[in-house]
Amino acid sequence: MSYYDIDAILTDAEKIPCTFQLDIPDLGYLDNAPDRPLKAGTKVNLPFWLAEMLAIANAGDVDGKQYITFDLPPALSNDVVQALKADPRSVPLRDQSAHFYALATRMMELSDEPELASVLRKTFVTRASEIALHARKVGGVGHSKGKGSEEGSNLGIGGAGEEFLRGLDEWERKLFRKAHDGAKATKEWMETIKRH
Amino acid sequence: MPMYGDLGNKLVIHAKRTQGLAHLPPYQTELVRAVTREVRDLNRDVESLLEPFQGSFDPTQDHATACTLLVNHLSMRRNKRCLLAYHRTRTDKLEEMVWNGVDVADLAGPQAGGGRGNGPGGAADGGSSSGSNLSPQEEDYVRQYSDLLAAYKGQWTDIDLTGSLEPPRDLFIDVRVLKDAGEIQTEYGAINLTKNSQFYVRQGDVERLIQQGYLQKLG
Amino acid sequence: MDIDDILQEVDPTVYRIPQEKRDLQELTRAWIAERSAPELLPWPPNDLFERINAAIKRQIERVEELTGDMDPKSNFALIVIQTELERYKYLVRSYLRARLAKIDRHTLHYLSSDALRARMSDIELAYATRHQALLHNHYLSSFLSSFPPNLQNLNDAVGGISMIETPDLDTAVIIRLLKDSFVEGRGVDSDGALQMKEGDIVILRWADAKPLVEAGKAELV
Repeated sequence: MSYYDIDAILTDAEKIPCTFQLDIPDLGYLDNAPDRPLKAGTKVNLPFWLAEMLAIANAGDVDGKQYITFDLPPALSNDVVQALKADPRSVPLRDQSAHFYALATRMMELSDEPELASVLRKTFVTRASEIALHARKVGGVGHSKGKGSEEGSNLGIGGAGEEFLRGLDEWERKLFRKAHDGAKATKEWMETIKRH
Repeated sequence: MPMYGDLGNKLVIHAKRTQGLAHLPPYQTELVRAVTREVRDLNRDVESLLEPFQGSFDPTQDHATACTLLVNHLSMRRNKRCLLAYHRTRTDKLEEMVWNGVDVADLAGPQAGGGRGNGPGGAADGGSSSGSNLSPQEEDYVRQYSDLLAAYKGQWTDIDLTGSLEPPRDLFIDVRVLKDAGEIQTEYGAINLTKNSQFYVRQGDVERLIQQGYLQKLG
Repeated sequence: MDIDDILQEVDPTVYRIPQEKRDLQELTRAWIAERSAPELLPWPPNDLFERINAAIKRQIERVEELTGDMDPKSNFALIVIQTELERYKYLVRSYLRARLAKIDRHTLHYLSSDALRARMSDIELAYATRHQALLHNHYLSSFLSSFPPNLQNLNDAVGGISMIETPDLDTAVIIRLLKDSFVEGRGVDSDGALQMKEGDIVILRWADAKPLVEAGKAELV
């Protein structure tokens, strides 16, 4: 993780559902009520950068009282996990979070989620090969839009393919760009070889 | 209700957008000022919270105050990170421009179309008073970095450090004459281009003849 | 006919071939390694760059002398020298820029200890120091100076994240074995270890490759 990294900073801005375990007189504003104390049991969505430290801050205290407990954010809810289990390619991750994988990684640093981890691993591998396929295609055939009926994936660029690419999260987009540039460079290199 | 850190986040969203642009959008003077003010306000809160304890605050005795202090501290640190990342994104871009030989005076002046596509929150775009997309501090920075780069480059005068990072192509190539083209002058003397003859020539001298179909490059 | 033979013929006294050829090889190797390694490698010792600079200067002078000379033999020598010169300049430029990109990205890291500072040339160290000072001043004058003093640092590590960014030593690199060696590498799920022979090519994490490269048992490709 890197201090100046824009995507890391944006990931840490994602909201996490938290429940306060103590009455805190001065923090009412976190629950839209600056004039009232924040009561124990109040549910508030807090950005990850705040939730993380509040969740771990008091863990070693004498009476073991924590400031907050937290749940997985909606982007990583059971519904999403089930949909990913069924078909990783059919879920537009971007609609869940632009930093889907980064957020999941941050959450898993905070609590053990073995099932989530294994689903996400499968998701990434399946989607990455689909991404590579699209990247090669776009790099290979130029931008002949709407003519995605070459052999290989049944998802052409246009239609389902475009929808899939739109649903990539930031990390996958980077992967796509890299694979695309790589395919393009290889093609250019092959052409210079042929010319000689 | 806006939360501490929300304004800082706006800055980072600006930074994210800046990364994808060829030009440098206007400096967010007002936002920077507001986030900086937030840090000072938070710090004042911390000081007034701690004041009654006269330096003997014990977090285990007062969980509520400890939690508030923690939230304030984290908010200040978050704002600091947002501010630094925002400024760093912009200096990265400015440095890249200096390397590419963009004139410092051009950067400092008003930029055509510089404010395009401000998106949500565009009303908050302050720009700086001079009408430049750069803050006065950034203008200073560009000048100082240009001087630094010039000094560094000056140590390597024969290399041209800002030159192309593409590997040099072969300066000389084999060509076959497809159509009679008469005599051409090259740096190394005259060559008579008669059909089917072959020459080993400087690529730069014959590039146009190749384009026009007089010569064919041989592999 | 070899380029060196031609250069020798053009001017046997100036071109002491063995040394210059070795320098070019060393530069090429340093260039390849620097572009593959995720972290800054040590600046080459023994005045390599002083000699390279001098060689480039000599070649530029030769080009100037030979230009305008209409003797076919010197024309051909000119072609060869010019091509060589362009390649030489490209190598040096690309090498220096690759290093500067790393230094710019992790300036505070490379300034943070004597051992790391020692990897830079004097010129690079001066550049890095000044660059960091300019950035710090820029932050101070833009917003940082009105922060509470305990928040003005650029090098602390509060809240689980260090402000000093470091290169990712787990980046994958490709090495060629120069000597038969035992190669150990960490994987995602399990680690691996193999006895490998001279000439073998392996892909592994830089952190695992580094000891082999530093011991001269392998080189980056």
